[in-house]
Amino acid sequence: MNKHWMKVFVGAFFEVLWVIGLKHSDGFLDWIGTIIAITISFYFLILAGKSLPVGTMYIVFVGLGTAGTVLSEIVIFNESFDLVKIALILLLLFGVIGLKILTKEDDQVEKGAVS
Amino acid sequence: MAWISLIVAGLCETIGVIMINEFNKKRNWQSLSLLILGFGSSFLFLTFALSTLPMGTAYAIWTGIGATGGAVVGMIFYGESKDWKRITCIAIIISAVIGLKLISS
Repeated sequence: MNKHWMKVFVGAFFEVLWVIGLKHSDGFLDWIGTIIAITISFYFLILAGKSLPVGTMYIVFVGLGTAGTVLSEIVIFNESFDLVKIALILLLLFGVIGLKILTKEDDQVEKGAVS
Repeated sequence: MAWISLIVAGLCETIGVIMINEFNKKRNWQSLSLLILGFGSSFLFLTFALSTLPMGTAYAIWTGIGATGGAVVGMIFYGESKDWKRITCIAIIISAVIGLKLISS
């Protein structure tokens, strides 16, 4: 796995944490944690944007963040489990893997557009 | 008003995504502040829209505008690939995200 994509995945992981935080925080420390998670997630997002096309990696970031949030709601907070959710998550992962394979991973985004 | 606010929220998110591009190019305070302002105001407008609109619908439209906007601007102004296979993958991801937000409200 490429290190630039790793940054997007780490960013998305922290996105899941702060989305959960926004929804479930009920104390000072919870909110501090949420704000730290927002900062870390955007830090990795900006870092990843240096080497990957920003529009593409933002979609992957949003997609993985959404999938992660829905899954953690099911696993941690006993949200209803249904096949439609799982099917949509699989579809989403299919798109993410496709984009990862198709996206040029060089440091100059502009060059990728020429090919 | 809530619908307008929701659309503005989506557009602010797009501005935030554009500013990630700008910040990585120039590394200056202007683009960093616009980045924070873009995502921050996007969130405020979304919160306002959520006070009257159903959550699932509002989230779905908000992400839809923001992520699509970021991708379209990237392709038009920042030379990101317009390969149809990539556009298909982008469309798949956005549809799945919209679907997930609609059903998990």
